[in-house]
Amino acid sequence: MIKDLNNICNQKVFEKLFNIHAKDLRRFLFFKTQDMDTAEDILQDAFIKLWDNCNNVNPEKAKSFLFTVAKNMFFNYKKHEKVVMNHQKRTLKSSNYETPEYLLVEKEFLVKIEEAIAALPDKQKEVFLLSRMEKKKYKEIAEILGISVKAVEKRMHLALLEMKEKIGKV
Amino acid sequence: MRENLTKEEESFLAKWLDGTISDATLKELVSEQDFIDYKKIKNGLELLDELNRPVAPSFNTLYNSIHKKRNFKNTQASFKWGLSIAASILVVLGCYFAFNFEEITHETSYAEQKTISLPDGSEVVLNAKSAINFTEKDWRNNRTILLKGEAFFKVKKGSTFSVQTPNGLVTVLGTQFNIKDTDTFFEVVCYEGKVSVTNNKKEHVLSPGNAIRKIDGKDSEKHDKENSLPSWLNGESSFVSVPLKYVILELEKQYNIQIDAHRIDDSIIFTGSFSNKDLKLALVSVFKTMDIQYIKEKNGVLSLE
Repeated sequence: MIKDLNNICNQKVFEKLFNIHAKDLRRFLFFKTQDMDTAEDILQDAFIKLWDNCNNVNPEKAKSFLFTVAKNMFFNYKKHEKVVMNHQKRTLKSSNYETPEYLLVEKEFLVKIEEAIAALPDKQKEVFLLSRMEKKKYKEIAEILGISVKAVEKRMHLALLEMKEKIGKV
Repeated sequence: MRENLTKEEESFLAKWLDGTISDATLKELVSEQDFIDYKKIKNGLELLDELNRPVAPSFNTLYNSIHKKRNFKNTQASFKWGLSIAASILVVLGCYFAFNFEEITHETSYAEQKTISLPDGSEVVLNAKSAINFTEKDWRNNRTILLKGEAFFKVKKGSTFSVQTPNGLVTVLGTQFNIKDTDTFFEVVCYEGKVSVTNNKKEHVLSPGNAIRKIDGKDSEKHDKENSLPSWLNGESSFVSVPLKYVILELEKQYNIQIDAHRIDDSIIFTGSFSNKDLKLALVSVFKTMDIQYIKEKNGVLSLE
């Protein structure tokens, strides 16, 4: 076992780096690929690569290593996808296959939502976060805050109105 | 904004957000444009949930896939730790291998590939879910390997090199060839030199570009020009006139998934290839061409229709 706290080959260090960077990397990859599964796959591969190079990468450099590797993997993935798609276009005479529709969500839009949540009045924000982040039911929120379920629902309703205003305006 | 909202309606967005009222109901309460805006916000919120979900399960997957490598890395790091100790370990290991009569086994799991160097410098690349087994004793004069599954061999010139599989014996002098042997499917493709294949007490000699195949007990020989190397070495599985059953088996091996094919005719012949790196693409390239629908069931099994 490696005890060195400055060496990524130490499993504790590696796990810590994963916990620090995985979410950001996943988010970054999602906006590139627009697909959660692909993002997750590349995320895994990038960390495996980090592990393979654990003796050569300084923990402080891990972040830029991960993002660079992930970016290259994404480009390779795109390139491969393109080749396969072209190949299929050539070999298939006709098909009535419908590509699964997906909603293209832009990064900017999510940032707007996050900003809109942050800008909510405190009472609404409190209810909103309990509901969306903590996954509490309206009834549970009412118990936690000592208000009626109706009041909780009203605040949620207002929060959504407020957010739409805010996001629509920007 | 609507002016005459009743008491109930004042919380309809909250009810819609937690699923108590449907999209259709909301559509009746707000304008079309407003509905689209709210829907976009809801989608965005759900996506945020996805992006913020805990990374722990993801770490577990990662941990499992590097588990084997970790052991390897640890040994490697210990070399750094003390050169003297490493040196003495090497001496001990050296003695161990010099007198080693035991069998050596290399195995690959789902979606795994492994390159193995043999004592004489020959190389074996194991495809997913395969295993080889050999003894180091007297290797130079008796090069025999047991194979289960699929492997590509790059053999250094020297004494006879034999690969024993449940379906047949393959003998060469120095060459490159690929063997695939599953229960009822046996295929040998020669890429360089000459390969002799013995099965059912019959001997076949293959020249470069030739292949021999036995499916469900039926022999066939083909002579079309193959690529210079098997495609799976480059992360793709290719098939030429193979019953779909074996394509599905290979998909299961490469991706560690389960496929339920009882609703389709899996004896239809497939020619084509799929990627070993991208499941989605692989499924599209196999089943789209065959006009087969696939659905992922709740228990993770992929069922075909």
